Formats: sequence, structure tokens, C-alpha cells
Amino acid sequence: MTSDTLTGTTAAGPARERSRSRAGRPPRRRRPTTWRSFIPWMFLAPGLLLGLIFKFYPMFEGFRMSTAKVQPFLGDIYVGLDNYTRVLGDERFRDALGHTIILGLTQTVGALVLGALLALLLEGQARRIWFVRTAVFLPVVTALAVVGELWRILYFPTESGFLNQVLGFLGIPPQEFLSDPSTALGYIAVVGIWTGAPYNMVIILAGLTGIDRSLYESAAIDGVSVKQRLRYIVLPALRPAISVVLTLAAIRSLRTFTEVYVLTGGGPAGSTEVWMTRVYSLGFQANDLGVASAASVLLLLATLGLTVLVRTLTTRKGKS
Amino acid sequence: MKNTMRPRRFVGLAIAAGLVVSVAACSSESGEDTSGSSGEQSLEVWTRSAAESAASYQMVFDAFTEKTGVEIDYQPVQEFDTQLQARASQKDLPDVLINDASSLGNYVAQGFVLPIDRESIEGEGDISDETWEQNVGLDGETYGIPWSRQANVTIIRKDWRENLGLEIPTNWEELASLGEAFATQDPDGNGQADTYGMVVPGSAKSGYIARWGNSYLWQAGAEILEADGDGYYTSAIDSPEAEEGMTYIRDLFCTPGVVVPGSVNLTTGETPFFGQGTAGIYLTGPYNISSFDTLLGAENVEVIPMPEGPESNTTFAEGENIYFGASSEKADLQKQLAEFLVTQEAQEIAMKVETNEAGVTSQPVVRLPVNENVDVAAVTGDDRWAIVAEDYANDSKTFPWNIDFNSFRQILADGMNAMVADCSSDIPAGLASIDEQFQAQLEAMDLVK
Repeated sequence: MTSDTLTGTTAAGPARERSRSRAGRPPRRRRPTTWRSFIPWMFLAPGLLLGLIFKFYPMFEGFRMSTAKVQPFLGDIYVGLDNYTRVLGDERFRDALGHTIILGLTQTVGALVLGALLALLLEGQARRIWFVRTAVFLPVVTALAVVGELWRILYFPTESGFLNQVLGFLGIPPQEFLSDPSTALGYIAVVGIWTGAPYNMVIILAGLTGIDRSLYESAAIDGVSVKQRLRYIVLPALRPAISVVLTLAAIRSLRTFTEVYVLTGGGPAGSTEVWMTRVYSLGFQANDLGVASAASVLLLLATLGLTVLVRTLTTRKGKS
Repeated sequence: MKNTMRPRRFVGLAIAAGLVVSVAACSSESGEDTSGSSGEQSLEVWTRSAAESAASYQMVFDAFTEKTGVEIDYQPVQEFDTQLQARASQKDLPDVLINDASSLGNYVAQGFVLPIDRESIEGEGDISDETWEQNVGLDGETYGIPWSRQANVTIIRKDWRENLGLEIPTNWEELASLGEAFATQDPDGNGQADTYGMVVPGSAKSGYIARWGNSYLWQAGAEILEADGDGYYTSAIDSPEAEEGMTYIRDLFCTPGVVVPGSVNLTTGETPFFGQGTAGIYLTGPYNISSFDTLLGAENVEVIPMPEGPESNTTFAEGENIYFGASSEKADLQKQLAEFLVTQEAQEIAMKVETNEAGVTSQPVVRLPVNENVDVAAVTGDDRWAIVAEDYANDSKTFPWNIDFNSFRQILADGMNAMVADCSSDIPAGLASIDEQFQAQLEAMDLVK
């Protein structure tokens, strides 16, 4: 209950201040509260209520559970920071963190590079290009679970597997793909790049269309090379778009779950276990909701930290 | 005007939807209250079932209602434990839960279920002492009434085996070479190398590989955890016998074709190979027999007595129990239902395959009856079930049910998965690592003397 009232006041506070400062003009300031002033709140109420019930309440419950030994029926026991110590002291969580970071970095960089390439290729006004763009964008609108299933079939590790057949034509021996602990993480990253790149492409495309065409024209008059054009016109103009892409990727990469869960379930030999699959198996398979909550809170903090970091880095670069 | 009307209507709709959701959320609690107090003559019963097994339960509950007039509010739940946690946090558990016997320790630890006075249950003598003793918790009390038992069996493609002129395998070596023959000698005769030996759910997810492979560990003479009888356990996994068992399992994985490639990442849901006709050996639960019959023809699906390992032919046993929800105040009705469920009549209904009005063909929920007066082969009319019953009776073992074994199962599965993923893995080191984690977990759960 206390968390409800807390969120209620924090949500209302800034909004009220904002409306006051916006009102600005002195005669309006002391107007008595009439039923009319409640109208906006009535419109907001359903959304706020839903947000409160389905977002904020579960979030605070998560914080509370992270400091408890969770026993829904017998009642939770407060254990302080024990759960956090267990997460930080757990070797498998540390391994999972390493895998998450590797996967996050490869996927982010890969998807950014591929997305930028696709954007440069598919930029333009040509009528028929929309068809190609739609086709390229398809992985983004396909459910990740489905994408995972499809790739698992493509990756089937014998000569009869689809990708191995393709490799066979090129004279390359069949690969183990996801069955080999040393390569599994890499092949998961490929799936991540494949699904992530088109999304980045769209954001970068939007950035590209924002570039003033006259800059290209004057550059052409000055006789610059393609390389120079990219370096001095396109890239600086794309900075805001890339910043958005990076921020989104940073958030997304830390909470990677579906593709790993569907493709390998964290195996083989734990070589693809990421933070969220570890949280899932602790929370819902070993029934240790306290530790799982603590790990989730840590993930939230890390995501928050990373987002702030990316934002500051990109804006600082922008100013300099 | 037209343009402004539309958004308004949408806003109206959104508000209405929001209100409906919030009203529904508020009313759900009061709804449960009324169902809780709606007369003495109803029981809320949960089972972990999909439509096919729910149809089987429904037949049994209908018979109960007809006999006693007590209504059953039956809820087949697929995400059983997740939903149960949600109900537990409302302090309002179902009156009766029918679920895995292996959940006993977990449910007792969480206070979900009530102890049972075995002597007070009518018909308790029809269930063997051994079966009853499986349901004794760490504190010596009996929790849950036995409902169904089963043992994993080795299922083989009979037509493939006969095409190759091979005998039924009776030991480990013969089983492995049958697997290799299925992979290399084109048993389906289509001229293509598109068949494999064994189906193995080898993923560590939900402990699949441990549930499949522990039979072989036991057959090598290995133990997983050893109970000292006073409710304490010690880890027993780090042994030469376990090394022998693990080596056999890894050899199966590392001989090309014996195990379907890529199995190291697969769960049971992702291994349809036996039913699809791409693999010919499957160590699995007997409940799969009926679906394999439908896909492949009953004459091609063979259940063989468990092939002998170096020490024994132990197989992995599981079961389901009837648990009494701790928050229920209907002790008499709980008992009445449980007493009916263990009768010969109820057990036999739950073993039948029938198609109900909705066109759903039931999947039997009693696999091996706990009531000793029921003859499984006579009721099913299928001799293969007699082999299942023999395997169970001769030599079967369960994971410990009186502790929350899930975390141990996960550790074992992670370790086994790691050892089979790499054909040059260091098995003694792998077992030592499992042993170390077992000990830490035993200590964390206060199970060490």
C-alpha cells in the first residue's frame, strides 16, 4: 500500500509544477479549483491506473522481493542484501555477465554496421526500392521466438542441415554451429544481428533523408571522393540517429533472452548462458524468486547506468 | 466533423476498456471469495494438464460427482507452478492439487500442502507400503496420496529393427550398436542416409538431460544423492561408477549418428524425431506410446525390457500425487475425493482412451495404477504396458521426492550437458564439479548433518 501512495505523489508532483509554470500569467495563478481542472486528470486516470497496477506496483514488488526469501504462502522473510551477495558471488552469474557483454557488443556493432550499410544501399527515391526495404525489414516484425525456431532449423548440425548444405556447395565441411560450446555464442550473435540490423537501417535512413541535399551538391562541385563525403557529411549528420541506435541497443543487449532461450536454452555446457536466462532458470525453475529479483534489479541499474553513459558520451561528442 | 468524431470514439473506447480491465481486476478477488463459500458441496481441483489429459480427468470427476453429488470445479492448468505461486500469494490455494510426486518436498517446504493420516484413508490397503512410503516428507509425515506411477521405458522402431535383421538389445553394447545400425544401415530402406539412432532431449533446460540420462548412471551403479534416513543427504555423484555411466552417455553422443545431431540443445518439445520417423530409439515416459501408435502404427512401436547396464537395469520412475491444499477448509470433501480416486473404478476410468463430446481424445492420466487390484495389461489390452509395469516393479528409482530436488536436478543437468557437449571433456573433473555444487546446495538447504 505504501508504494502505491508513494508513486501516486511522485507522479502527481512534477506534473502539477509543470502546469503551474506553464500557466505563467498572474491572473490565472490564483484561480480556484473547479471541476474543470479535474478533467485532464480524469482522462489521464485510466492510463495512470493501468501504469500503476501493471508497471509501478510490480516494479516495487521486485525491489521488495530482492531483499527477501520469497515464500508466497508462508510469508516472505527479510534477508537484507543476502540475495545480492549471492548473485555477485555466483560464478555462473559472472560467466553469464561475460557472455551478455560479448553478445551485446557483437550484436550492437554488427547490427549498426550492417544497418548502416543497408541504409546506404537502400537510400533513395526510386519507386521499386520500397519492396526491397519491406523485405529487409521483415525480421523486425517477426516474433523473436519464431525467428529462433527458424534459425535452429537452418543451423541443424549435419550435412542435411540447410546452412551446411549451402556450405557444402562451397566445399566447406559441415559445421557444428550451436552444438559446439566454442562457437554457439557467435552463431547466436549472427541471429541477433540479422534481426537487429533492419531496425537500425530504418532509423539511419530517417537520418540520411534529413541531410541537406545541397551539401552533397557543393561537395560534388568541390570534387570530394565518396570516402570523404561519408567522413565529413554523412557521419556527422547521422550522429543523432546513431546515438538513438546505440542507446536502444545498449538497453536491448543487456536483457537479451528470447533468442538465446529458443536457440540453445543457455547450453551447450552453459556457453551461451546470459543474465536473463540465468534469472529465468533461478526464478521459475529453481523457485528462487528472491535471488532472481535481486539479479533483475541489478540488471535494471546496469541498464540505467549504461543508458546514461551512452547518452553523455554521444552528446558530449556532439558538442565538441 | 467526421474527422474529430473518430478520435473521440477511440478515446471513449480506450477509457471503457481501461475501466473494464480495472473493474475485472478488482472483482477477481471477490469472485474467488464467493466460489470459496459457495456451499460445502464443491471442490476446486487443479491438475497440470493439456486438453487431452484434462479430458481424462474430467471423466473421473464426472463419475465422482454422479456418485456423491459433490461438484468439482476443475481447472486444468498448464503453467501449473507459476499459477500456483500466484494463488499462494493470495493465501487461497485450490482445495486439491494433482501434480508431480517430485514436487512433494517443494510443496511441503512452501507450506502449500497438508499432512495426511494414512490410516484414515479408506482403501489405503489397496496401495502398497512401498508406494505410500515414497510420500513421506522430511518430517516423517505423509503428504499427498499416491495417484499414478510410471517408469521410463526404451521404445524402439520394431519395423526398422526387423528390416535390419537385428535382435532386441539386452545390454548397453547391443543398444549402442542398434543405434549405430539405425544411423548407418538405412533401416527405412529409402536409399538415403536420413535416419539416426537415439532421440535424446539433451538440453540442460528444466533438467531434461538429467531426467533422460540418470537411468544410465544408475545402471552403472552410480548414485546421485544418498539419504541417511534421518532427513539428511550426502552427495554421491563423484564415483567411478558415475564415471563409467557418463562415459557411456558421452560415447553415445560422440559416435556419429547414434544420437540425433544437435540434441545437446534440445528439449522434449523440440525432439519429435521418433514420431517423425527420423530416429528409432527413445528412452522416455510410457505416456508417449499412444501418440507414437497414431503416428507410426502400433505394430511398429515396440517397448523392450530395459537393457542391462554394468550393474543393473534400473529405470527412472516418476509419479503423480493427490495433494490437499493447505488453505482449504473442506477436509472431509478432500478426503472423500482422494478415497474415490484410488478406487479400482476411478483408476480404471483414468486409464481409458475415449473421445469426449468436444472431439478430444483423452490421454490416460493414470499410467501405472497405484491400486494393486488393477491389472494394467488387462485394462489397456496392451501387452507393452505389462513391460512398463515390469520395468517399474523390477528395478526403478526416483529422484528424492521429500526435498526440493529441482536445484540439484539443474546442477546435474548442467554438468551432464557440459560433459556430452565436448567429446574430449574431462569426466572425472566434471563429476567433481557437480559434487562440489551439490555439497554447497545441500548446505544452503540445511540438508547436511
